[in-house]
Amino acid sequence: MLFKDQVDFVSQHIKKNKLRVFMTILAATMGCAFLIVLASIGFGIQDTMRKEILEDQAITEVEVYPNDGEELDISKIGAVEHVNAIVQRTRMEAMAVSQIENRSLEGNMLLTNFAQEEKSNLKLSEGRMPTKDNEIVVGYQFAENLLTDAERKEMEQSTEEDAEPIGGYKESLIGKTVSMSLQSYESEEAFSETWDFTIVGVTEKPAKDWIVDTNILLDESWKDKLQEVYEVNMEEGNTDLFFSSTKIYTSSLEHVKSVTEELKEMGYSVYSVSEQLEQLDVFFMAFKIGLIFVGTIAVLISSIGIFNTMTMAVTERTREIGVMKAIGASPKLIQRLFLMESAWIGIIGTILAVIISYAVSFLANWILPMVVGSALGEEEFQDLSMTFSLIPWQLVVIASIISIGVAMISGWRPARKATKIDVIQALRQEL
Amino acid sequence: MIQVQNVNHTFLIGKKGKEKKVPVLKGLSFEVEKGEIVAIVGKSGSGKSTLLHTIAGFMSPEQGSITVNGQETAFLNETERAKFRLNNFGFIFQNFQLMPGLTAFENVELPLKLKGVSSKKRKTSVKQLLKKVGLEEVADHYPNELSGGQQQRVSIARALITNPPILFADEPTGSLDSETEQDILLLIQDLNQTLGVTFVIITHDEEVASIADRKFRMRDGELVKGDTGYVI
Ligand SMILES: Nc1ncnc2c1ncn2[C@@H]1O[C@H](COP(=O)(O)OP(=O)(O)O)[C@@H](O)[C@H]1O
Ligand SMILES: [Mg+2]
Repeated sequence: MLFKDQVDFVSQHIKKNKLRVFMTILAATMGCAFLIVLASIGFGIQDTMRKEILEDQAITEVEVYPNDGEELDISKIGAVEHVNAIVQRTRMEAMAVSQIENRSLEGNMLLTNFAQEEKSNLKLSEGRMPTKDNEIVVGYQFAENLLTDAERKEMEQSTEEDAEPIGGYKESLIGKTVSMSLQSYESEEAFSETWDFTIVGVTEKPAKDWIVDTNILLDESWKDKLQEVYEVNMEEGNTDLFFSSTKIYTSSLEHVKSVTEELKEMGYSVYSVSEQLEQLDVFFMAFKIGLIFVGTIAVLISSIGIFNTMTMAVTERTREIGVMKAIGASPKLIQRLFLMESAWIGIIGTILAVIISYAVSFLANWILPMVVGSALGEEEFQDLSMTFSLIPWQLVVIASIISIGVAMISGWRPARKATKIDVIQALRQEL
Repeated sequence: MIQVQNVNHTFLIGKKGKEKKVPVLKGLSFEVEKGEIVAIVGKSGSGKSTLLHTIAGFMSPEQGSITVNGQETAFLNETERAKFRLNNFGFIFQNFQLMPGLTAFENVELPLKLKGVSSKKRKTSVKQLLKKVGLEEVADHYPNELSGGQQQRVSIARALITNPPILFADEPTGSLDSETEQDILLLIQDLNQTLGVTFVIITHDEEVASIADRKFRMRDGELVKGDTGYVI
């Protein structure tokens, strides 16, 4: 029998039992749509969290720590493929007291190499990278925390938890000269040595709202001078005066993983976004499998309908099947015709389910943020950029395979039954 | 064309555990020649249909061999038998056994579809044959819109459409009035003469058997002794 004739044959039978087939397709559609929508929640939440991770930090960043008592071999790290920049920021364990006009700020100093910072793509909200020794970059919140004594007093008295910052430096800091002196954590007074720096850049707003960046970025050549001053002023030297942290920047996100692996092989402790994403992916892989499993149960329940419909179809057509066999239809052909019928139910059910799922997913992503937003209150409402439901093509493929596969499996037994029909008994049936 | 040799078959009748053995075919042997009309005559229950079922390959006899066109049917599996039937046999049943959901035309077309003949070729040969059996007017009718005689003509056309060398007819006029019966019998004779198709007709009706070149008489699963089977 030609394939086209087989299709005609099957569709003729389906047309004859429109209502029954429709109800069966409906059940298959509901099962499959349930599976897709349920699993789409897993994909949606994963997507939201991935985005959060990727937005919140420099994604090409790899943090690397030496083992206890060891040092990083910077030249070896630099030789690793796709390493774009190695930024070593050294924090001085002392306060940096900055003074502009009548305003002051107690912050921290970070010694760094600006050439590497520039390569690492350090973003500035204003200004440029320093080129001279006495040029510095300050944190985004540096200006608003430059307070006069009066303002500081007012701040301290304010009881409100998150009161708006009072005062602060309103003008641009670019080109301003700041005079800075050191002060140890233990002492009350700043040391007498002061240096004048010119602010040439202001860093970008930190990704996380709760970070307040009032740091001063200073060229690393200052390290010895600062240490000397500190030791002159303090009777006992501090062995832990400087604390370095090293961040490596790869040329792009796709290389983070390979660089991370290579650094690990060197025996360093490494932390990068790829690590974080990997953990996230492992967790969500399990989560999604769980959801698909639960969804598959719905598909299995709907398959009972297919099984019933096909069994009915075979029983009803016993005589016709008998005649077909008598005039020369092979058992294989008869089995195929019935399998095609159940596959058709599965395919149409799946197609409808995919369409419905996309609609439900779209509606959920549109309506749920509003509902959740109004429950949380106006303010969060604005920031809520959550994906609740996401249907990637892989999910469509998985769900289709499960749904159509289950439809064909449940049509298998009735189809086998059809092939086993005894011609003589079938012909004996009354019309 | 057909050789039946020492065919025996026993049915088990009754409840499980208390079955009774009922021998239905008892050592039957005969031959059917190419191009002839053979009638197997006998009272109801004498085993005629069972004999036909074994020859057609709907069931296997317990004993004996059946050879059709040089092929021993016992050696074929289910699929091969189906194909063998499609290529060698046509069937005409007492109650026509047409597909209720198909028109007269589509019913006749069905065996060609099974053979994988293209739609265009099917159309021409079905049209031709329907004309030959006098049904061109009612080609688009469904079986329940046709008279008994017309339905039997459709079923004859369906049996003939693949040009099989052998046609089996089990009580072909059993559901028809005597006038229509005559029409059908004339058609069978005509087809036999013009197309050279071999007919094996099973009937309890002497009138029907009268068109046969040879008659075999069956009684209680045996061919009646002394009946040579040759033209009486
Ligand atoms: N499947 C079967 N199981 C048991 N007995 C059967 C079966 N088929 C036929 N018989 C019996 O075999 C005998 C012959 O039946 P059948 O060949 O139909 O006779 P006929 O066609 O000559 O009227 C009958 O007694 C019938 O009851
Ligand atoms: Mg009979």
